[in-house]
Amino acid sequence: MYRAGRGLTTSAPPPLAPGDLGAFVQESAAAGELVVQPRMGMVAPEVMAAGVAAVAALPERTVATLTIDSYTRVGDHAAATAALRAGRPLNGFPLVSHGPKTTARVAAAAGRATPVQVRHGSADPLAIFRTMAAAGLSASEGGPVSYCLPYGRTPLAESVAAWRDSVQFLTEESRAHGRRAHLESFGGCLLGQLCPPSLLVAVSLLECLFFAANGATSVSLSYAQQTHPAQDTGALTALRLLADEFLPPSVDRHIVLYTYMGVYPRTVPGARLLLRRSAELAVRGGAQRLIVKTETEAHRIPTVEENLTALRIAADAARSAPRRGTHQRARSAAEAEAEETLVEARALVTTVLGLSDDLGVALLKAFDRGLLDVPFCLHPDNRGAVRSTVAPDGRLQWTDLGALPLLTTSRRTIPMTSRQLSGMLGRVAREHDQAAAGNPPPEPMPRDAPEPSAEPLRIAFVGMGPRGLSVLERLAARCAETPPARPIEVFAVDPYEAGAGRIWRTDQSPWFLMNTPAQEVTMFSGPADDGPHRPGAGPSLGEWWAEDDPAGAEPEGYAPRAVYGRYLTHVMRRIEETLPPSLSVVRVPARVICADRGRGEGGATHRLRLDRGDVLTVDRVVLATGHPVNEPDGEQRAWTRFAREHSTPARPVRYIAGGSASEMPLAEIPAGASVGILGMGLTFYDILTELTLGRGGTFTEGCEGLLYLPSGKEPRILAGSRGGVPLLTRGANQKGPEHRYQARLFTAERMAALRAEKAPLDFEESVLPWLLAEVNLVLLATRIRQVHGPEAADEFTERGTHALADRPDPRPDPRVLERLAAGYRVDARPITGLDALARPFGSRRFGSAAEYHKVLTEWLRADLFEARQGNADGPLKAAADVLRDVRQTIRTVVDFGGLTPASHRWFLAEFGPVAAMVSTGPPQLRSEQFLALLAAGVLEPVGPGARFGADPVEGRFAVESAQVENSWVPLDVVVDARVPGTDLTADRDPLIRCLMADGEIRTFTNAVDGTEEFATGGLDCTDSPFHPVRADGSVDTSTHVLGIPSEFTRWFTQVGSGRPGLWGSFTRDADAIAAALAEAAADAGAVRTSRPEAGRALLGGVG
Amino acid sequence: MTPSARPQPLRSSPEPSRRVLLTTGSSDAHTWNLVHLQLFLEEHGHSVLNLGPCVPEQLLVDTARMTSPDLVVLSSVNGHGHQDGLRAARALRADRKTRTLPMVIGGLLGISPEGAATRTAELLDAGYDEVYADGTPPTALLRRLADLGGACTGRAAA
Repeated sequence: MYRAGRGLTTSAPPPLAPGDLGAFVQESAAAGELVVQPRMGMVAPEVMAAGVAAVAALPERTVATLTIDSYTRVGDHAAATAALRAGRPLNGFPLVSHGPKTTARVAAAAGRATPVQVRHGSADPLAIFRTMAAAGLSASEGGPVSYCLPYGRTPLAESVAAWRDSVQFLTEESRAHGRRAHLESFGGCLLGQLCPPSLLVAVSLLECLFFAANGATSVSLSYAQQTHPAQDTGALTALRLLADEFLPPSVDRHIVLYTYMGVYPRTVPGARLLLRRSAELAVRGGAQRLIVKTETEAHRIPTVEENLTALRIAADAARSAPRRGTHQRARSAAEAEAEETLVEARALVTTVLGLSDDLGVALLKAFDRGLLDVPFCLHPDNRGAVRSTVAPDGRLQWTDLGALPLLTTSRRTIPMTSRQLSGMLGRVAREHDQAAAGNPPPEPMPRDAPEPSAEPLRIAFVGMGPRGLSVLERLAARCAETPPARPIEVFAVDPYEAGAGRIWRTDQSPWFLMNTPAQEVTMFSGPADDGPHRPGAGPSLGEWWAEDDPAGAEPEGYAPRAVYGRYLTHVMRRIEETLPPSLSVVRVPARVICADRGRGEGGATHRLRLDRGDVLTVDRVVLATGHPVNEPDGEQRAWTRFAREHSTPARPVRYIAGGSASEMPLAEIPAGASVGILGMGLTFYDILTELTLGRGGTFTEGCEGLLYLPSGKEPRILAGSRGGVPLLTRGANQKGPEHRYQARLFTAERMAALRAEKAPLDFEESVLPWLLAEVNLVLLATRIRQVHGPEAADEFTERGTHALADRPDPRPDPRVLERLAAGYRVDARPITGLDALARPFGSRRFGSAAEYHKVLTEWLRADLFEARQGNADGPLKAAADVLRDVRQTIRTVVDFGGLTPASHRWFLAEFGPVAAMVSTGPPQLRSEQFLALLAAGVLEPVGPGARFGADPVEGRFAVESAQVENSWVPLDVVVDARVPGTDLTADRDPLIRCLMADGEIRTFTNAVDGTEEFATGGLDCTDSPFHPVRADGSVDTSTHVLGIPSEFTRWFTQVGSGRPGLWGSFTRDADAIAAALAEAAADAGAVRTSRPEAGRALLGGVG
Repeated sequence: MTPSARPQPLRSSPEPSRRVLLTTGSSDAHTWNLVHLQLFLEEHGHSVLNLGPCVPEQLLVDTARMTSPDLVVLSSVNGHGHQDGLRAARALRADRKTRTLPMVIGGLLGISPEGAATRTAELLDAGYDEVYADGTPPTALLRRLADLGGACTGRAAA
């Protein structure tokens, strides 16, 4: 990606003087060598010269440095000169006080070939540049922002003016003497710590643009190593891409990385480890120069010898580091990592460039308005409204965007304490000191050492949310019952908290509720007994909640998702605390970025490259990565671009893409803004609650149901969906947690026979009639029970079953049930189709929004009335519950290519959403709140067939219902409340991309009958125990896949919990995989002795 | 000069709340030590005016005259703390209104550990009430604040 220096100056190339920094770096890069450079500064000219000579004499490609002392830096040359005269120590080379002659003599110690750069840190470098130029030096660094804001109190306007003059002076003066000035932006450092990469990248690029605008033709863009290797790699990639995008092609440029600039490890091994990692990062991220730190950094100003040692170590680490981009997968992983930083940094840069044609003025305006804002910076010209944090996974992220023109952050602002701050500031130092001391994060050791000869079976669980946890729970229970011949080592890999994963994070808003009553949820595969909670015997969520929080728990109600997250982490801990001797579990808080196969015996090992840099080698993989994050589709990209282009600080326009509501930046939607919510499913309720209750509004009992008392901080909420109605309310639960429905007509046996006889099936033609018959049987029987009691209902059920099931008809006739029920003098009308329930308005038109709201209110009140009657006693809700109860039977018909391609397509597009509308709705409370918000005017549903769009005339979004007159409304914000569907071809997860690219997995294409192909986008896998199918059709028996990635191949995988009592498919699927894994460890003959690392987890090194 | 990220104290302190003027050497560009100390002192119920990095002596004196803090805390980590600190102390001691202000200094005060004892002696001599060696926990400041005798000065000005 870098360009050779000579290729740049096509028009009348002036010969470059020896020691030209830009050319030297380009030549080294072309030779595949990383340039290394110290930060060395000594007060005495002889000592400084000796240091320069020693650096130049190293066999490594080096740049020598004159680092200036602090007095010279702040322009207090009198103090520097006084200290010099009095022989007092200074922390650098007082270049101005020594003057050009001495400086030239010192610089000459580098010889002709080694460039010398002056590093200073001054907000007004003119005096330094004058001395430099007179001494024949042309390379320096800094910048109007990076050497002003973080380091002093010079007003930014003064710094910008001083830097403009100084850069112009240095470039002209150098050119006049046949040299080329080189300027390095220090923008990649800022405060050294806690600044998210996008701002570092943006400031670095803006300063280089500023240098170029003032005459510089050779620049370098900097980035300081931060807290997370993969995030850093992405940032370097983003910096390179943006430099190519924005800098004039004639300007020579390279990337310079700074070894970690924050609190440094205190031990020598820890400091060395961090230094080596920075060199590896430079190579991986495509930086061409590295500025090192020394082992004594934490304690004092380093000596020359210490600097030389650091340079040698860094060069050595760079030479042995894997190159960037040699691997297609590594490159795409790096690009995926770069995406977030790239998008944010580009937004910052384009915003600033748009403020003025004069970049200096633009920078001043940007800081004045808070469009650029450095977190924790105390400078009076810095707004100080933004905050950032180190996330649990080690990444830097924004917690408060202030006025930054960014959309991507979702965290709520939590004030930071001094303890947290020092924890974050010291994190890198601590980690490296510990890691280097051979003291990695504690790994639970097997309590009884297994027979030493048995090689353990190593299993990586990629994703440790509910699905991964369910397999681990069963595996632990099985190992406790029957100890396997070989010990098993499990690596629970998840960047989020093990057990809860991403969706069930414990730190999410308390307003987000689960959708299943707490007592119907469990992660233990058996009920608690007198013994301790352990795999196979533990409490349901409801039981645990009641015990954990007696005052706040409502076990019969719906728990907040954060509570379920805490339950899941409890289960994880209980598994770890009760491990049988044969099983060990290691938590690996990381993300897998790519995978390949080991060359070991059998070639069966998986090598998983982690984003923190190390490699995990395992025998088996359980892939349970859960909800996807997909590339935005065409419309989403267009809307994001539209929002970016039309947003102004005064009136922000935003598009918030779909995903988990807890990750959406809802807190940033201003009060009173018009917010359109696209979709009225479960995510809609999360968003609605967060924007009302979450903003201080309250609900109170009124005489006609709930009343909403606004806080005044709500936005105006406009909601739209295809049907124009929210999900149907879930019936009040009247069934015990262990209730199991016994189907009469839509039986597993009947469907199995149907599939055996004439698969692939047409769902609408062959399956749906039986499903509807079952639904109607329950509907009518419930009506009869309400009037005539249970005996009559049972009698009806028997007769109905008999009349339909025992006939040879391929399709049940709905009129049979209707005629039978009519004999009981009840409402005998059956449901003719699910559409009638889920899309009550059909194509009906409304004369005004008020009319639509009135009808909608009546409809939802009626639905609530049905829901209050319960899911056993209420005819409609009892009937709707059938859809949940027979879900597993539907799966047996549909999964693994049971339907024709055309029918499969129809099933997913039509049946699925309607079934979800009818049977997965929210608890009554949510529908009551919907009505209250509607009545209060806070919530304004738009109408059926709502269409969202961008309105270029208004410069805003807009929504309109084709079925409601005058329903057009302009919108400031559109929130996409549709759950992103599984589509591996658009998945942003680097591991999924890598496996797809390598053909280790493929998407499921339904082409069973040869008539057409339906490409589903879900992961193709076998039936139990669920092995992925490779691109060539072979089966990978050392991998299992469970849950959402396999959606479409299987149906309705988005289930995050088991049920108490008899195992449902959630627990059965988990157990099937656990059984296969235990089986793999049952064969003690599979002992391999040739592995040098026998018995140890292979964490470390780079494959 | 910048408002704190966290204005409210974490816990109510049994000690009286004091007003601290937080500063650093005129050549010291470091910020994190100041941010951390500000949060820490505020969490313990004290109010802090944080002058930020690179504080010229005159700004320190002017601010001290204007606000009459209960304690001046100079925190420095760039190795010039000894020299900067001497200048700051002389400037404060030279002004009639700030002559008697209690003041302490701490951090990484020289460019190497050698000569620490001499530096400390010089700083104490120049007027600091206490010199904290690098690595002293910030709780030492709480003890110092608790030990300040008499009524708090300038409370009304707060």
